[in-house]
Amino acid sequence: MTMIRTIAALSLLALATPALAAAPKGNIAAGQEKSKTCAACHGPTGNESLDPSYPKLAGQYPEYLAKALRDYKSGERQNAVMAGFAGALSDEDIDDLSAYFGAQEGDIHDLSKVDER
Amino acid sequence: MIKRILLPAASLALALAAFPAAAKGDPENGKALFYTCTGCHGIVDYKNAYPTYRVPKIGGQNEGYLIAALTAYKKGERKHPTMRAQAESFSDQEIADIAAYLSSLKTAK
Repeated sequence: MTMIRTIAALSLLALATPALAAAPKGNIAAGQEKSKTCAACHGPTGNESLDPSYPKLAGQYPEYLAKALRDYKSGERQNAVMAGFAGALSDEDIDDLSAYFGAQEGDIHDLSKVDER
Repeated sequence: MIKRILLPAASLALALAAFPAAAKGDPENGKALFYTCTGCHGIVDYKNAYPTYRVPKIGGQNEGYLIAALTAYKKGERKHPTMRAQAESFSDQEIADIAAYLSSLKTAK
């Protein structure tokens, strides 16, 4: 009986674990604290770029931002400026920054409603 | 005599003024070209297969950045296979056109 309960509990845990893993990574508040350097070029919310060749970050999907930062860090994506900044970030920093900029309101959007514009 | 100098000078001035405009993106042509992009970028939360992440939002993005991104894919500096194939099929002018169109899209309020 106890055995069955244990197995049932373990099964539930196994089911719950993927759900937890899918939860958004990163801490928005911590990301805001770490975003001061980024703000110099991308603006305080990531929506005001200093130069049109810099991307708007506000409202971008967090996992895309995280991928971009990891690719800059690894050298997979080459950009002299971003390599310097991303290289100094830990995995946690990357998740926090991505969560922060992804949670901001901005101009960018997907193209799903493009015919209505 | 003065006319002979002024006329070519004026023509040259007109030609120079027209030249930078030719290098700029034409949003109307970009609109015609961008249709393929909606296959991935036009679906809310659409995910790249591997590695798994949602494909970026590009409507309303900065023009210069879009040009830089597409050009980097075209040259192979950015390595996403699908984006590389797409970007390779576009001329520099077409990339500028697409960037002009996408950057002109405002968020629906």
